[in-house]
Amino acid sequence: MIALSNLLTVLLIGLGLFFMIAGPVGLIRLPDFYTRAHASGKCDTVGQALILLGFIIYEGFTFDAIKLLFLILFIYVLTPTATYAIVRAAYVLKYVPWKRGGERQ
Amino acid sequence: MDKEKVFRQCTTFCILFAFWILLSGYLDAFHLIAGAVCSAIVTFLSYDLMITKHKRGGVFKLLRFTFYCGWLFIEILRAAFDVAYRVLHPHMPIDPQIVTFETPLSDDITRTVLANSITLTPGTITIDVDGGTYTVHALTSAAARDLMDDRTIEKRVTCIFQDAP
Repeated sequence: MIALSNLLTVLLIGLGLFFMIAGPVGLIRLPDFYTRAHASGKCDTVGQALILLGFIIYEGFTFDAIKLLFLILFIYVLTPTATYAIVRAAYVLKYVPWKRGGERQ
Repeated sequence: MDKEKVFRQCTTFCILFAFWILLSGYLDAFHLIAGAVCSAIVTFLSYDLMITKHKRGGVFKLLRFTFYCGWLFIEILRAAFDVAYRVLHPHMPIDPQIVTFETPLSDDITRTVLANSITLTPGTITIDVDGGTYTVHALTSAAARDLMDDRTIEKRVTCIFQDAP
């Protein structure tokens, strides 16, 4: 039983780490501001959530687990909002989005 | 003092106090009294922010919203896999474009939920919301088509927040 929960924890944290690495790779490889917002917004949300979920399973049903659950919920509300805020700022400042075949910015 | 205001204040106080106990984890007199005082101050200052209107069918709405969150979680996982795949692919198969569309949604909360859902689902982020007009940046033309033609997210969000009979 303990071995199973540990295995699940390792699996979830590993998957989370994969996304946390894919996010910054996207930040470097993608051509402009808007597409970079895609990479950081989505990969980071899912990566953090999966890692925290792994912690919850490792921790069992305690006060700390409930706190971690709240943390996941807050991240899910805050990341899209923050992404929206910075992308909107770029849009208002007339930042030209990259088109296929265009120059890297 | 009308009844509505007292109800709102009491509910806000209870939610805040429960949250305090959850976060502190201590059940001795000092921490409970400190929590009650803090909750009372926050309630006094901002009770009209948390619960705005007393509407019917709130429980059903909450239930539908919970189901929606489950569906959204799967969509978010798909979205992250999609972005990770495109980023790690040697040729980066992306074709970004900006699209605008109109929705008939009028409620602020409904609009916010829709905007955040668009940001979290595969290949799209919300850039701007002006009234019922959404400006969306799509990473691929397939994602843009999905949003414009199928309108799955919009239908689902409308379905949650429509008033119960």
